Amino acid sequence: MSIKHIAGALSLSLALGLAACGGDDSSSSDAGDNQSKPTSGSSATKTDGPVKIAFSAPGADHGWMAAITENARDEAEKLGDVELQAAEGVTDSAAQADQVETLLAGKPDALVILPNEPDALMPVAQKAMAAGIPVIDIDREFTEQGAFRSLITGDNYGIGYQAGNYFADQLKCSGNVVEIQGIAGIPVTEQRSQGFSDALKRKCQDGVKIVASQPADFVPDKGLSVMENILQAQKDIDAVYTHDDDMAEGVVSAIQNAGREDEMFLTGAGGSKAAMDQIKKGGLYRATFLYNPSMSASAIRMARKIVRGEGFEDLTEPEVPQKITVPATTVTKENVDDVQELGF
Amino acid sequence: MSEKPILEVRALEKEYPGVHALKGVDFDVVPGEVHCLLGPNGAGKSTLIKCVSGAVEPTRGEILVGGEPLPVGAPSTSIKRGVATIYQELDLVEDLTVTQSVFLGHELRRGPLLDRDAMKKRTVALLERLDHASIPPGAHVRALRPAAQQVVSIARALSHDIKVLIMDEPSAILDDEEVETLFGVVRRLKEEGVGVIYISHRLDEIPRIGDRVTVLSDGRTVATGLPADTPQGELVEHMVGRKVDQLYPTRSAATGDVMLSVRGISGAPMVKETSFEVRAGEVVGIGGLVGAGRTELLRLVYGLDKPDTGEVHVDGRRLPAGKPAAAIAAGLGLAPEDRKSQGLLLDWSLTKNVTLSDLGRFRRGPLLDGGGERTAAGDQLRALNTVPDDPDRIVRELSGGNQQKVVLARWLLRQCKVLLLDEPTRGVDVGAKAEIYKVIADLAREGLGVVVVSSELSELAGFCTRVLVMREGELVAEVPGEEATELELLRHAVAPTDTEPVIAGEEI
Amino acid sequence: MSTTDAASGEGRSLPLPKPKGRIQLQEYALVGVVALILIVGAILEPDSFLTSDNMLNVLRQASVVGVLAIGMTFVIATGGIDLSVGSMVACAAVAGGQLAESGSMAFVLGALAMGLVLGGINASAIAFGRVVPFIATLAMFTMARGLALWLSDKTPVSLFSLDGVRWFGNGEVIGIPSAAIVFLAITAFAWVLLNRTRYGRYVVATGGNREAARIAGVKVPWIVFSVYVITGICAAIAAILVSGRLASASPIIGNLYELDAIAAVVIGGSALQGGRATIVGTFLGVITFALIFNLLTLMDLAVEIQQITKGLIILAAVLVQRKER
Repeated sequence: MSIKHIAGALSLSLALGLAACGGDDSSSSDAGDNQSKPTSGSSATKTDGPVKIAFSAPGADHGWMAAITENARDEAEKLGDVELQAAEGVTDSAAQADQVETLLAGKPDALVILPNEPDALMPVAQKAMAAGIPVIDIDREFTEQGAFRSLITGDNYGIGYQAGNYFADQLKCSGNVVEIQGIAGIPVTEQRSQGFSDALKRKCQDGVKIVASQPADFVPDKGLSVMENILQAQKDIDAVYTHDDDMAEGVVSAIQNAGREDEMFLTGAGGSKAAMDQIKKGGLYRATFLYNPSMSASAIRMARKIVRGEGFEDLTEPEVPQKITVPATTVTKENVDDVQELGF
Repeated sequence: MSEKPILEVRALEKEYPGVHALKGVDFDVVPGEVHCLLGPNGAGKSTLIKCVSGAVEPTRGEILVGGEPLPVGAPSTSIKRGVATIYQELDLVEDLTVTQSVFLGHELRRGPLLDRDAMKKRTVALLERLDHASIPPGAHVRALRPAAQQVVSIARALSHDIKVLIMDEPSAILDDEEVETLFGVVRRLKEEGVGVIYISHRLDEIPRIGDRVTVLSDGRTVATGLPADTPQGELVEHMVGRKVDQLYPTRSAATGDVMLSVRGISGAPMVKETSFEVRAGEVVGIGGLVGAGRTELLRLVYGLDKPDTGEVHVDGRRLPAGKPAAAIAAGLGLAPEDRKSQGLLLDWSLTKNVTLSDLGRFRRGPLLDGGGERTAAGDQLRALNTVPDDPDRIVRELSGGNQQKVVLARWLLRQCKVLLLDEPTRGVDVGAKAEIYKVIADLAREGLGVVVVSSELSELAGFCTRVLVMREGELVAEVPGEEATELELLRHAVAPTDTEPVIAGEEI
Repeated sequence: MSTTDAASGEGRSLPLPKPKGRIQLQEYALVGVVALILIVGAILEPDSFLTSDNMLNVLRQASVVGVLAIGMTFVIATGGIDLSVGSMVACAAVAGGQLAESGSMAFVLGALAMGLVLGGINASAIAFGRVVPFIATLAMFTMARGLALWLSDKTPVSLFSLDGVRWFGNGEVIGIPSAAIVFLAITAFAWVLLNRTRYGRYVVATGGNREAARIAGVKVPWIVFSVYVITGICAAIAAILVSGRLASASPIIGNLYELDAIAAVVIGGSALQGGRATIVGTFLGVITFALIFNLLTLMDLAVEIQQITKGLIILAAVLVQRKER
């Protein structure tokens, strides 16, 4: 029993490690754009009647992903001529693929999808494209050209880079920075980290030092313990860069508990309401960076336009672009009111 | 049988750090003989077996197989030389089939693959040799009765070319009927010229199956080459070192009221509606074959299993069915059939085992009085002559007989009114057996009612006030103690009372 | 082997050496490990590791998983396991959070009530429903997490104004963190309960040999029931401690706490199959892991190093246990 229990528990932890926290996961792409023409079976345009859009995103236990689904639903309702068929959010790629298959059987006009794992969902996306159903890919990029018509994605590297620039300015290129990362080893974390350190290096050379960099798994209680320990080790911290707002709550608590709020400032990422409130109040929490979960609303719009055979008004090209990279927004006290409604 | 010995042991000694287990053992086995090995616990029998089977290297002395010294180190070399051992805890893997078990470790192959047909054929042949062709080669070991499992174990040994077979208390788990079958197998081996070393505590078996006897005591050979029909008293004297006047104490008689009243208890499928009574001062024996339902009956009375029908009354009060805690509170105690796996917590101290059923007595507020426990436990253990009687010892280290005393001590501490003992002397050597019989008799004299379930009909006949016989779930006979003989009890156990005796001729 | 155990048989006339308690050896080994970590830490991080501030920090951090591990010791002593404690912590925190508007007392009561209910469900399924502990608590693991997310609508509740709860997480009594005091008090109480009461004896008996315990009159189903209620209560207490420190009742905390708790119990010397349990060992196990986490974070080493170190310690502990057998 004993060995079985250890083995069972370890395999459980493995499964958990893979599935834990679905927030703020990014696409697996880098910044390379694909310039080739959009491929599709001939998708007939539909100028009247409702636009049937099938929607699938992973199940959300974390704000950003939940907001994606909610924003898509809200946008569909707002648009009026869109009938949205949303699959229930699941955390398993195979299950999501099954759901999309089911959705496709209902012959929608377009498919808007945020794939849990792009590789696993590519076959079903290609199937849709081959059947003449245009696919709008959100956030996690399919690597095969034939798998999607248009892509709208955020940019984790960009978030990191923007944050790095912000820190460079705020610190006037000199000081000690602590980085609290998300789950170690996944692309989101690596890109946000890399972008951050690249920007600092470019702007400040060695002026700003990252004195500690530890993962806290996107959860507040880990953020709390990790920061408590770092506070013991580092007696002079000027700023803290965290990868995620939810996690940052724990980091904030640690700093407050230690009475060192005045020593430093902190930034998060993702755009939670709680973070926005704190930014508005001012003080320790100075900024957050987000790529907006509103992109799913945009994706719905894009899908509608494609089905109607329209393009974006202000662009010369008559078609909807193939790839749209949404820039990261820096949210500080100055502009928090403008973006607050997008917070989740 | 005056041939050259197939196995010779000369001046064998084995020292462990701190313990001189064998101090000089001499004996030999000739082909085709059954050589019985007797001795009290601690005599060195198990160490001797380990040396001969190659598991352990002797410190001094010689072991010769077929005239050649035995290489030590791995039991596999012993097997290659033709020496195999059947342990009491059979070395079988329950989930395997008979064929797989027989060939475990030395499977037959054809190229790189297992040759299942060949193994099956040879298994069937082996089972036929042992007159047990009825055991299906594809059956799982788990599904077989212990007696059949034992035959598989023997077949496993035979699948090598053996000259000497050591059998360590093979009859301990068998009832009288199965023992006869075992003897049949042993006689077959004799006919083939295999030398058998037969270890047993049951003295009555020796004249039935043995040719010669060797007695070990305290690591030495006390007597060897004795003929098998040496009187029991003499053998016991050799073993114990002194005259044992009487194996069995005087019978106790019922003195008082009915302490235990069982009415109409049944539990499908093993126990049909059964009723009996036990009075204070009585020792009531329950005999029968394996599968008769005796253990199951005790479990139903005690509440370990919920009975389908019936009532149990202890000292006049009715017990709620199916609750051991209630039975204990009313004054019942059970010493289960398998004392190691059911009766004791082997890794615990003697104290903790003794006090477990009566912890309420040692409560000081919410806490337990550890010192009080030790004292009380120590008193009980000493009263029973437990060796060692240090209450901090771990139970696992004690011999079978002493472990049984720990179980009894628990109920004595609790001051039970009725004791249910299931095979109390199983695996216990003669000296300790006598002590246990005496303890039981003393308890009865002090006013307890005692129920003893046993497969050794001779012992039931020897000291019980009266003996009940169960067959196929029912009580079929009641015999007063003085009149009971093993033969008569066996007759009741195997067939309806008005037919011919099953075992012809042999006087026990 | 014959029914007469070889060891006992041989030495009947000779005094056998008193066996050294298996568990004592493990406990001494752990004290050595803790001492070793303290020394290594003092050398590698002289300015920050061995300070009273940091040591109290470690103790405070250890309290959350520590309370869970103490409760887990009882479950493991009966031969069971509870995989749901982490999720129960989140659910209890959320339950308290829903009542947060009514003050600290309401929070505490809400958390305790949820812990009792969830623990009770586990207990009923395992003791009376005959569900295997691994499966029952695995189911609770997902159910409690789902319940936490649902009850809280996936949003954390701020406990900023609940001074009472925050004191539990972050307060001090004569310089010692209140969370640590709770942890130490629970440890002491658990030690007495396990080692000096009838109940504790019954718990270990149930794990050591369930059938023998039953025959001896132990009410086994109730004992099994009780230990899962204990872990439920411990989850609630841990929830109060961590929510107090976070000043927030969040549904996404508690990830993998159960594995940390089980690991601490295992390296402490209690047997996973039941029957042998040590509260002191669990306590030392918790401290050991907390010290390692602290030291490696201070040194800013990659998290992989931490995970490998933790794994190696668990392996070493299991091997030491094997040797003793």
